[in-house]
Amino acid sequence: MNFDFYDIFYYSCLLISAAIGLACLNKVERGFKWLAILMVLTVVSELIAKYLVYGLEKQDNNIVYHFFTPVEYAFYVIIFLQFLEDKKWHWRLWLSAIALFLFEILNTMYIQPLNVTSTNVIIAESVLLVFLSLVLFLKIRETPSQRILLREGVFWFNSAVLCYYAFSILVWGFHNMKVYNLDNAPQIIYDINMILSGLLYLSFSIAIVFNALSKPLMRNTHD
Amino acid sequence: MINLASLNSSDVIVFTLAGMLIIILLFGFIMYFLFTYRHKQRDFNLLQIQKDEIGTQKQLLEKTLIDLKSAQAQLIQSEKLASLGQLTAGIAHEIQNPLNFVNNFSEVNKELIDEMQVAIDTGNISDIKAISNDIKENQEKINQHGKRADAIVKGMLQHSRTSTGVYEPTDINALADEFLRLAYHGLRAKDKSFNVIMKTDFDKSIGKVNIIPQDIGRVFLNLITNAFYAVSSAPSTSKSPKGDLPYVPTVSITTKLIKSPLGDLGAKRSTGTETVEISIRDNGSGIPKDILDKIFQPFFTTKPTGQGTGLGLSLSYDIIKAHGGELKVETKEGEYAEFIITLPV
Repeated sequence: MNFDFYDIFYYSCLLISAAIGLACLNKVERGFKWLAILMVLTVVSELIAKYLVYGLEKQDNNIVYHFFTPVEYAFYVIIFLQFLEDKKWHWRLWLSAIALFLFEILNTMYIQPLNVTSTNVIIAESVLLVFLSLVLFLKIRETPSQRILLREGVFWFNSAVLCYYAFSILVWGFHNMKVYNLDNAPQIIYDINMILSGLLYLSFSIAIVFNALSKPLMRNTHD
Repeated sequence: MINLASLNSSDVIVFTLAGMLIIILLFGFIMYFLFTYRHKQRDFNLLQIQKDEIGTQKQLLEKTLIDLKSAQAQLIQSEKLASLGQLTAGIAHEIQNPLNFVNNFSEVNKELIDEMQVAIDTGNISDIKAISNDIKENQEKINQHGKRADAIVKGMLQHSRTSTGVYEPTDINALADEFLRLAYHGLRAKDKSFNVIMKTDFDKSIGKVNIIPQDIGRVFLNLITNAFYAVSSAPSTSKSPKGDLPYVPTVSITTKLIKSPLGDLGAKRSTGTETVEISIRDNGSGIPKDILDKIFQPFFTTKPTGQGTGLGLSLSYDIIKAHGGELKVETKEGEYAEFIITLPV
C-alpha cells in the first residue's frame, strides 16, 4: 500500500474529523449531526475505494465516486436545509439532488463510464454547493446572532464548503480541460486537492466542536 | 514531496494564477461578508437592547395598569361611599316617618288596652269589641309602617353592597321614585332652606325591566343629586322659561316606553325592539357648551374642591353602557339640563 505525504495528510484529517464528529454527535445541532455522519460515510467510501485497489486488486476505484458523489450531495442538501430553516428551499434542493442523480446516470452512460472519474458530476456538485454556500451566507447575514461569528459552527462549515468547492471547480475543470486535449494534468493539482480535502474535513470538525461548545443560538428571525 | 520539475510547466502557472484569483475572490467575499455581518450584528444587538427595554417598559406599564385598576376600584368604592353619605340623611328621614307612626300607634294601642281592661272589668262586651277592632287596625298600621322601614333599610343595604352584576326584573318607576325621595330628603337634611318642586310622570305600561338595580339606582341618585345641585346653585335672579314668572326650582322625572324599530339600542342583549327612556330634567342654569363634551370624563367636576369626586357621571355613563343603553344630555344654557337614559327592555 503506497501512501505519500498528501495521502497521509488527507486520511489523517478525515479520520480525526470523523472521530471528532462521532464524539460530539449528541452535543450538536441536527445539521452538524448529519455532517458528522457524512464524514463517517466518507471514511467508509474511502475504505471501500482502497479495498477495491488493494484488496480486490481492481485497476481503479472510480466506481466508488460515481456512487458517492450523488449520495454526498444528498447529505449536503439535508445539512443545508437544516441551516437554511426555510421551507421554500425544500423542493428546490431536493430537485437539485434528483437532477444531479439523473446527471450522474446520463454521465455514466454517455460520457464518463464507471472506470473513469466522474469529474462532470463532481463539477456540477461543486457549482451547486458554491451556490448553496452563498445562499447560506446571505441567510447568516440576514439573521445575525449575538455571538462572535468566528465562533459559530455554521460559519466555519459554510466557509469551508465555499472555499473547497470553489477550488474543486478549478481542479476538476482543469483536469477535464487537459483530458479533453488528450493530455495529463500536472500531479500537483491532485496533491493540492488532497490538501484542500483534508483542510475541508478539519474545518468541518472545527465547526462541529464550536457548535458542541455553544449554547442554543438566539437569532433574529424577524418573527 | 512536490515535483519541482512540474512547477515549470505552463499548466501549473495557469492553474496557480486561476487558484490565486479564486483565493482573492474568496478572501474578498469573506471579508465583505464579515464587514456587512458586523453591521447587521450591531443593528441586531441594538434591536435586542431596544427589545429588552421595551420588555422592561411593558412590565412597568403592566404594573402601572394593575395599580391604576386598583386605584380605580378604590375610587369607585369612595364614590359609592360618598353617594351612601348623600343617602344617609334621606334614609334617616324616610325611616323617621314610619317610626313615628309605629311609636304613635303603639302609644294609642297602650291606651286602648287600658280602656279595654276597664271594659272587661265592667263587662261591657260591645265596648270590648270596638276597642279590640281599633287595636287590630292600629296593629295593622304598625305592621305596615314597620315593613316600610324594613324596605328602606333593605334598599340602603342593597345600595351599599358591591354590585353582584345580576340582572333582575325591576320596577324602574318605583326605583326612580325611591331615589328621588331619598336624594331630596338627603339634601333637605343638610340644608333646611333647600326646596324644589319635584314632578314625576311615570309610564305605568313599562312593567319590569331587566337591570342591575343597585347600579341603575346609583345612576338615578347621581343624576337626581346633580339636578338638585343645579337648581339649588342656580342664580336667584333666574327666571322661568316664560321669563315673566319668578324662578321655581323644579326637577322632573319622566319615564316612557318607546317602541323603537328593529336594530335599535340594546340589540345585543334584548331580542325585543322596545326601550325605556328615563329623563331627569332640572331647570337650573344648564351646562355651558364648552364643558359639554367633558362632563362624562372621569374626575371632571364643576363643583368646588372637596364637594365632588368627578366620577358620578363617568360611572353613570359606564353603568348605562354596560346595560346596553345610552346616556345623553340635552341642555340650554340658563334654562335647563336634561339627562336621558335609554335602556333596552
